[in-house]
Parts: sequence; structure tokens; C-alpha cells
Amino acid sequence: LCRGGLAERLCRLQNRERSAISFWRHQCISDDKILSDKSGVLTVKILEIFEECTIQVAICQQLEQSPATLSPEDAVINAEEPILKVLFTRETAAHLKSRPQDVIHIYPPWQKLLLQNADVPVIMNTYFSQKVLLSEHSEAREKTYGLTKTLIRKNILSLAQTFRLDDLDDKLHQGSSENQVPCAPQIHNHGDSKQLPLALSAVNDSLLEMVESQGAVGWRDVQVRVVIQRVYCLPAREGCRSHTQGNKPLCATLIANSDPPNVRLCLLVQDAYGMFSEVQLQSLSSTDDIEQYCRRWEGKSCCLAGMKILQRTTRGRALGLFSLIDSLWPPVVPVKVPGQSQDSEMMTTDLPPPSFCYILTVQSGEIHVEVDEEEQISNLYQPPAVHGLKEILRIDGCNERCSFWAQVLYRRLQTKHNVPIDQREILLFVTDSTLQNVVHGIPKVVAVSVTASCVLSVEIMEALSAGSRLVFFKDALWGNGRIICVERTVLLLQKPLLCSAAGADLSELTGPVRLDELDSTTQASSVCALRGTVVGVNESTAFSWPTCNRCGNGKLELCPQDRELLYCNQCSEVVTTPVLKMQLEVFLSCPSRSQSTVKVKVWHEISIALFVLLTMLLFLQTYEVQSVLGKEVGLLNCYVHSVTSHPNCVALEEIALL
Amino acid sequence: STLPAVAEELLREIRKAFQETSHVPDDLLLGLKFIFGPSAVPALDLVDQRSVTRVRSPSGRTLYQVLGSSGKLYTCYSSCHFCTCPAFGFSVLQKSESLLCKHILAVYLSQAMGACQELAVSEEQLTNILLAEEEDEG
Repeated sequence: LCRGGLAERLCRLQNRERSAISFWRHQCISDDKILSDKSGVLTVKILEIFEECTIQVAICQQLEQSPATLSPEDAVINAEEPILKVLFTRETAAHLKSRPQDVIHIYPPWQKLLLQNADVPVIMNTYFSQKVLLSEHSEAREKTYGLTKTLIRKNILSLAQTFRLDDLDDKLHQGSSENQVPCAPQIHNHGDSKQLPLALSAVNDSLLEMVESQGAVGWRDVQVRVVIQRVYCLPAREGCRSHTQGNKPLCATLIANSDPPNVRLCLLVQDAYGMFSEVQLQSLSSTDDIEQYCRRWEGKSCCLAGMKILQRTTRGRALGLFSLIDSLWPPVVPVKVPGQSQDSEMMTTDLPPPSFCYILTVQSGEIHVEVDEEEQISNLYQPPAVHGLKEILRIDGCNERCSFWAQVLYRRLQTKHNVPIDQREILLFVTDSTLQNVVHGIPKVVAVSVTASCVLSVEIMEALSAGSRLVFFKDALWGNGRIICVERTVLLLQKPLLCSAAGADLSELTGPVRLDELDSTTQASSVCALRGTVVGVNESTAFSWPTCNRCGNGKLELCPQDRELLYCNQCSEVVTTPVLKMQLEVFLSCPSRSQSTVKVKVWHEISIALFVLLTMLLFLQTYEVQSVLGKEVGLLNCYVHSVTSHPNCVALEEIALL
Repeated sequence: STLPAVAEELLREIRKAFQETSHVPDDLLLGLKFIFGPSAVPALDLVDQRSVTRVRSPSGRTLYQVLGSSGKLYTCYSSCHFCTCPAFGFSVLQKSESLLCKHILAVYLSQAMGACQELAVSEEQLTNILLAEEEDEG
């Protein structure tokens, strides 16, 4: 059961009630006198009984309070007396063995419920009920009755009628946005616009205490003070639990089809006891703000109010979240130890890493996250530890979060056919001075895979396609010899203000970037440089086409007026001097990997090495394979498509580095 | 019949109390226990775990899906009291021992406390959910 949840609460209440009931029953047996406290006792005479499900419904008449002198025969049915419907549970009914005409005492605590369209009040929670046996006569009769079974009518209830919980007025307000976050958020910041004064009680510093005391339904009146360790965005489907039916996930495919990018701003916060919580705030309309939020909020203290618990998750269920939490463990300053007193001597850093974490979200209406932007960075804040790529490649572990600053050389979109655009995976090839300046032993360039769950801002996407950029990768994941960017990883264009750069060289690269040369260890989906001699040409792949010299549009058309001229519809002009692009697959013999057949797709426009050769061929409108053979080619930068061993072949494509 | 009206009123009181105070008082929780018996605690647990989703299609049709404790997903109808769980078939339909199963109760409680997750699906997807139940039973 959820700690602090409603179920747990009811369990506790129910246990208490059960003990009270058995205690009471015991008292009744041992003490023949009716309990002295007569206040609140309801005395009823049963007129009619029937059953619905396991509840026994008794239509009764409420009697005046004079039980001692009352006998069943004396209690005449007085039309003035109010009628009640008294409900008994199966167990109580079995204990009472009531019949029409019986008089029952119902001791508190019982509950009265008034129904909307009925006059007759209903009495519930009638555990403490006792039949009144007032004379020897009735006792004997009771015993005989006990031997014969009375048939009690059972009502079968219709399932056609559902319950209406709302009143007609409420229907307008009961929208579908109960669990959705408003799109126009109002985050209150100190020093920003005026805040609404919240009538809140004192600020607490323990998340766990708040969760336990308030339960799952929310903390309207309480504030908790925490430190923001990380700010990131999560794709919206993280917010709802992905329901699966058999093997068919419903959530994932649906969100991909929705148009606006569903992204939520989230905070990973830590309280004074070292406990973490992930707070999911509003949906962001544009992901460009993420860099702003990171800058303004990370490391600062803030007060949370008006939150509710979305989920309590554990290490086993949320590996991504916990890998981030682990990177922030142990805390850099001593944290408080939960105990009776809050004296500051009880502080420690020697605690086991957390095994559970609460995920909180906005209750309703406005979000109350008051960040003290003006204030200093908290001592508890652990900025991302930046390392050089060389160090990261040497990390011995799995699922370790790492941060680094690197130059992106080449970008490749991995699109598979059945996967929607949203599920794209991007492959980035990056390097830094720690990799470039080494002679051998480690690769010069490393591949970083960016999964669809890592939210990229539009700014980053543009920067990555425009030119070679230095990008800060915050909290990427290292494991199994690969660096991947997943949810909670943030890519930023600016150097972080604070970071513990343990020997990392954040300077720009001087000199041209060098790639590893093609050799026997080269694998697919990597980049390398090669040199070799042309030993063959794949004639069937030779392909040329004109492109616009202004915009590079490769889809030129014939001019409608003059069919001898080419027209670019992107520039809306005639192209007088088109640039010819050629594509050709050549086979090379590379000394660095002499055993393999090396097949390279080369492009005319960028291949300076083959340029002269190919233009010559075009000009002559013929080409002789002989004239190409034996030509030296190098140093080409290529992307490796595939490496096969039988036949021993490497297929590459010439690329342009950013 | 009495019990359905009583159950409805109790749930309405819970909703009202929750709307006004964000809190469900103890006496209403005990009332749930009294009326619904052994289903009460499991139903509340399902609410605590946010296991109830309201599935809605563009035409306005709705149904509820509840993620049971065993990890199985059960479907509850909005138009009548029906649930695909075995307990419903047994206790409610066959033996008339209960008014609702814990999943239907969880649906009502989630409605009352604004704890329903929301899922928008296409008409076809809603149909598939309903038809899938048929396949399982067949």
C-alpha cells in the first residue's frame, strides 16, 4: 500500500474500529447491564427486513428513549414516529438475528446519511448494535426463533443505473483537464511580477514528512523548501503511465501523432534531509527556454506549494531517474538525519543511496514554485562534473551520468522506416582536445547517440545542422562503451557557469580535426578517414544531376518558356550556370585495411581529390575506366555504412564535416 | 432498492468534501468500508496509485481502464456497471454479493477526487479496446 495514501489510512481506521467492536461485544457479554452511556443511542423497532448484496436493510421506526421499561408488546406502532432505514453488515446481522418487531439499540458511533430524493434517512456504521431482550418471555421465544430460519427477501439490484457524482451545475466545470497542466503557466519568481499571497503555514524542510502527513491528495496549505539540483525537459508521455494491454502500448504511439511538441519542464529537487523528488511542471510551448531555466534556477533554493503526488517510484522501475540521482550522491554537505529533535548535530553524509523517489506534479490552477533567483547558490547544489572525453571513455561502469563539452563534427539522422519522426535517433560524432591530442590507443572521435526521449531545443537542432559547434552535454549516459543522450540529458550551447571541471580542457580546438584512419578495427556507424588507390568503378552507380548555383536545390525543372534552360522554383529564377553534382561508387585499395574491399560513394562536389578526374570525364562525354584506375585518393572523410566479413567488405560514404 | 442510492450519496459526499478541503474525512472512509466491505481498501489503493484512466474518443464515447494490482488492465464501462475482471463476474453478476467490484469503485473514487488520468484515442482504438475483451473471453 502507498505510504501516506488513502488505502493505508482506511486500513488503520478499520483496524481501530475492529478492535473497538470486539471490545464492545466482549463488554456486552460480560456486563449484562446495558452500557451506562445512553447518549447518542438510537432505539429502533424493526418493521421490515430485506437484503441487498450483503447488506441487510431494515425499515424501522425510531422509538422514544425509554429502553428499560420497554417491551416489544408495549411498543405500539405510532404513526407519528419517524421511519428510518437502518443498514447492517452481514456480520452484524448474523450477530443480531433480527426479525420484524424486534427492538434494537444502536450505540454510537453510527452515521446518518440523508439521500437526495428520499425522505427516509439512512443509518450506517451500525456495528455497535444490540437487540433488546426485555423479558423472559422474549428470551425463550428468541431461542425457538433461533432454530427456525427466517427467509429474508433479497433484492437483486440493477446494474443499468450508474452513479452521478456531479450536480448539473458542476457539469460545466468538470472538464477533461483534471490531470493536465495548463498551457499558459504562471511560474512565480521572486523579483518577477507580484505574487499572489498564499495563506500558507510555516515552511517545512522535509519532503517525506509532507508526503506522509498530507497523503496523496495534495498539499494545499504547506510549503516545502528544497534545492533545485537539475532542470530538464521530459517528453509528455513520461507524465502518464504507459498502459499496456498485452503487448500493445497505447500511450507511446498516440503522443507521437499529436502536433504540438508535448514537453514538460521538470526539476530534480533535494531537501535538507537529502531526499530527492522530481517535480513535473507545466508544458513548455517552446523548448528554447530550457537553457534559460537551467541558468536561472539550477542551484537555487525554492519553495514548493500546491503539489500533489503523481507517483512513488523505485530504483528498479526508473533506472534513468536513479542514474541521475546516483550522480548526485553522496551529498556534498552533511544532510539532516530524520529524528525526534532537529538539532544540527544530527548531520551526516554517510547514508545509503536513495531507493525510492516521489514524483510530484501540479495540483491545479497555478503552480507555486517560488525560486529565490536573487539568492546565492545553495551549498547542497552539485553542479555537473565535466570531464574530458578521454576520461569518460575510461569510466568503468554502466549507466553512469557524465557531462562534457565537445565539438560536433558530423550529424546523422537514423531513420528507420516504420518509426515516426518523433522516434528519431540522431547520431552525433564529437571530439575534444583530450581525444585529438593523443597519438594512439583511443579513438579520435566518439559517437554520441541522441534518443527520442532526450528533448532537444530548436536552437540546438539548428546549431547542429548549421556548422561545427561546441555543445555542452549535461548528464549524458555512459554505458557499454557508448555515450547516449536520454531523458534528463540536456544539450546546451553555452558553457555552464558553474561546473567542477576536474582537469577538463574546455578550450576550443586549434588546428584541423583529424579522424581515425580506416583500419581493421573500424566498425559500422562510425566515421573515419581513408586514403587509397582506385581499383574499380561501379558503373551502375554513376549518377549526375544539375543543382542551382544559388541555393543548391537539386530538383531543377525545365523552363516552360525555353526548354533548353533550367529553372529553380525555390529561387523562382532561371539557372544559367548550374553546378553539376555527381555521385559515383569507387572501389579502393587501402593499405591500412588491405584485406577488405573498400567501396566508397563519392560526391563530385566535395571530393577535391576526384574533381579534376571526373570533370574531365564529363567534358569528354565518355569515360574510360582505365583512366580512373590507379588514381590515388586521399584523405577522404567518410561515414562507415557497413562492415561485413563474408565477403570482407567495407561500405562507406564520403562526408563533409561540419 | 436502497443500496445504490446510499452508495451514490456516499460518493457524492466524498466528492464534495474533497472539492472543498482536498481531504477525505475519516468518517466517509469508514462509510466506504461499511457499504463496500472488502473492496474499499483495494479500491483506495488503486486511487493512490493513479491506476484509473478515462479513455475518450472524438465522438464523446468514454470508458475506463484500470491497471489492476497484478498488472492486468481491466475495462469498466461508463454507461452501466460493468467490469471485465473475474471478481465482477463472480461477486456481482453471479452471486449478487457486491454492488461493484474494486475497479468500478476505484473509477468512482478517482472521479470524485480528480485522480483520473486522461487518454484521448481515436474511434478505432476505442473499438479495439472493447473488442479485445471479446477476444479474450472467446
